[in-house]
Amino acid sequence: MQQVYSIPKSIKQNSTFTFCPGCDHGLAIKLVAQVIDELELKENTIAVASSGCSVLLYDFLDVDCIESPHGRACAVATGIKRAHKAQGYNKFVFTYQGDGDFASIGLAESLHSALRGENITAICINNTNYGMTGGQLGPTTAMGQITTTSQSGRNKEYHGFPIKTAEHIALCEGTSFSARVALYDIKNIINAKKQIKKAFEYQKKGLGFSFVEILSTCPTNWKLTPQDSHKKIENELIKVYPLGIFKDIEND
Amino acid sequence: MSHIKIDGNKCKSCYLCMDVCPKKLIKKSEKIGKTGNCIVEFDDKNQECIGCAQCALVCPDMAIVEVYR
Repeated sequence: MQQVYSIPKSIKQNSTFTFCPGCDHGLAIKLVAQVIDELELKENTIAVASSGCSVLLYDFLDVDCIESPHGRACAVATGIKRAHKAQGYNKFVFTYQGDGDFASIGLAESLHSALRGENITAICINNTNYGMTGGQLGPTTAMGQITTTSQSGRNKEYHGFPIKTAEHIALCEGTSFSARVALYDIKNIINAKKQIKKAFEYQKKGLGFSFVEILSTCPTNWKLTPQDSHKKIENELIKVYPLGIFKDIEND
Repeated sequence: MSHIKIDGNKCKSCYLCMDVCPKKLIKKSEKIGKTGNCIVEFDDKNQECIGCAQCALVCPDMAIVEVYR
């Protein structure tokens, strides 16, 4: 009998996630920790947390972390990467952001990091609302979705259309990898880990900006059970946000 | 004998593991967890567990801490 699963070494011992029950943030952090373990990056990594639920990353991940101002995680990561490079160190730098951070407040920083081809990795958790502040309408909210600030559902006359981040990042010439994954079943969780690993490997190879958008649930603000939230992603949201790899410079 | 180890202090009663277990060996217990709901327990009287680790993979709170096959 052998042990086939244990808690990743990059997770702080005896830490308990403080996310809501059933939230995919915990799962995403676990996958990131597993990939850091597999690529043996723990001692060489600097993680950049942002504002929102994603900021709690540094409570659990046992790597060096810095908190950036709201939306500026990619800009901070650029500074860290370049400053260390100037000193002769090749640090592994990644950002862990929510959709409100990456695609709303920090859209300029994020998009221009991709356009500059900064050699960093960005992971964006897309739960289609501003989760930490109470579930307001965000730029990624799907058409017709009811939030606290769109009580009759998102409509195009008043709110406009949602942003498809992974496709936009894929259009930037500096991007080496852009993918969208989901976490609603085992197959997709394994695929998500594979894509995160690929994004991290591209940074190690120095190919440019790599990006993974993770379609995630927010059971508390969607007012659904964790099971129904996963069904909502499977039945509704992947029609709005199709899964797949949108840019992969090694295989295109 | 395959088995899993659940940390009851970490379980937040989302019950995602109960749905993925192919043998339906994870059940609600009578213990109340931190969220005020019943936490899960591993109930494998007939030693049916195959050690697939799907429950550990899907658990968002890392409450399933070890899996042996």
